[in-house]
Amino acid sequence: MSTPEVHQLFHNPIADHSFSADKQTLAVARDTRVELYGRSDNGFKLKDELKGHDKTVTGVDVALQSGRIVTCSQDRNALVWEPSPTGYKPTLVLLRINRGASFVRWSPSETKFAVGSGARAIAICYFEEENDWWVSKHIKKPIRSTVTTLAWHPNSVLLAAGSTDAHARVFSSFIKGIDERPEAGVWGERLPFNTVCGEYLNNSAGWIHTVSFSPSGDALAFAAHDSSITVVYPNGADQPPRAVVSVSTQLLPFMSLIWNGESEIIAAGYDCEAFRFKGSEKGWQLTGSLESKGRPGLGDAREESAFNMFKQMDLKGKTTDDTQLKTVHQNTINTIRIYEGSGGAVRKFSTTGVDGKLVIWNA
Amino acid sequence: MSIVQQHTAASLSENWRTINIDALDPDSSTNFDTSTLHAAFPPVSHSEIVSLGQQIRQLLRGGDAESALRGALENAPYGGDDAVKETHLQTVTEVLQGIKASEMTPLLERIWGSEGGAEILDVLVKYLYKGMASSTSTSSSSGRPGARGSNLTPQSTGFSQMSGRPGAQNESSGAAMSVLLSWHEKVVEVAGLGCVGRCMTDWRKV
Repeated sequence: MSTPEVHQLFHNPIADHSFSADKQTLAVARDTRVELYGRSDNGFKLKDELKGHDKTVTGVDVALQSGRIVTCSQDRNALVWEPSPTGYKPTLVLLRINRGASFVRWSPSETKFAVGSGARAIAICYFEEENDWWVSKHIKKPIRSTVTTLAWHPNSVLLAAGSTDAHARVFSSFIKGIDERPEAGVWGERLPFNTVCGEYLNNSAGWIHTVSFSPSGDALAFAAHDSSITVVYPNGADQPPRAVVSVSTQLLPFMSLIWNGESEIIAAGYDCEAFRFKGSEKGWQLTGSLESKGRPGLGDAREESAFNMFKQMDLKGKTTDDTQLKTVHQNTINTIRIYEGSGGAVRKFSTTGVDGKLVIWNA
Repeated sequence: MSIVQQHTAASLSENWRTINIDALDPDSSTNFDTSTLHAAFPPVSHSEIVSLGQQIRQLLRGGDAESALRGALENAPYGGDDAVKETHLQTVTEVLQGIKASEMTPLLERIWGSEGGAEILDVLVKYLYKGMASSTSTSSSSGRPGARGSNLTPQSTGFSQMSGRPGAQNESSGAAMSVLLSWHEKVVEVAGLGCVGRCMTDWRKV
């Protein structure tokens, strides 16, 4: 395994990050603004800053085809940034929520996006041509608490949401005139707006940090604060799911996860490193970390002379310098995203976290 | 003057800015019924839990500590009232105290490796924290009444360090605490920090 590509962007937490389709532009949510970095020869250079929010930005997503950027923030607003020759032009979206927005993602069709919020609602936003603005429709029931995370089904109609009421849910976000009628599948046949296609929680019922559909869209994985991941295989409308597999781990909770094909999940979180899970309907297992421990250059390989040892003991009261974690990330990983892949298989993925680092890994 | 006072009193009584509007909204998350987060528990009566406790003590006396611990943890009375839960805590604490320190880790590893073992260890962690939290000494008061016979020794100064023994109660609860702490250390070694997190998120309280 080749070494990961590590970029220390700055020393602030990164709430969310997103790459453009050509991977030349990186959008990073930093405090109350979004910073755009351009790829230069051996790193990333700050190109532009999107200043429009006046509270912490919680989510950023770049639409792959149109290049539009959507951001959401604790100031209860979402902005769509339209690329133009003179820079990005923001448009305010009417979210109609009375609490902060927590998460935002474009649908794969890029005609709408979903914003999760502390107002116990998901705003599904789409562009209304005749009024020339972005409007939103709310999914409210049966959400009982803050929506922490969202994920789109490949058909752009189904939306998975995780919430602090410990439920991962699958909703229909079908909007007439915008979406094509989806084909019937494992999640249901008739899918008018706000249909609840599934509602899942695991035994210890921790709040949900992340949800994700498998590449085919026929399975849903979520990670909760009880250090578990749960994979659901549904079985059509109004039927109990074929299988619900839950893996409790010895680790700290996962904040984000991606699928690599239908039989592998990569998850990362409070342990500051990414872990691989493998399995199928019959069962899932944690197979290990994606990092090779004890990489050179972390100080443990250096042979200490006796003189050095006593000098260190005199200066610092200890012989080894253990202020660094053995992982690449030095703090919680918040976001993990597919960087490069095809047909559901991931070749490279990127992670950002509280330590202000962007790391591009080989899956 | 009086009008001003009236006005102030009225605005104090109707201090609408401080009204917690979330409490008035039935859909609000403050009115969220957390019992919907788990399946309904079957009720457990006091006699049931006492007879279960006897069976478990019998296993323990017979030297089968693993079955005793498993039995105690698999049958945690989630649906019982406080007295039932307290009784079962007593049973679990006795089992924990009856297992030698050298046997803890191999025992925990066997349970972790078995089917549903992670869940059993999560329950164990719940009992460890409950045992630590209960203020009354849960140790089966293995007090040694004879040991303090030296109280009779006359103290010439009249300043008796023995009388009263304010630390006596603390000593036995301290012993119980050290058992719980060493179990806690061993469980976290086997089941990782995940089991502590699960214990905190879980709505099924022991």
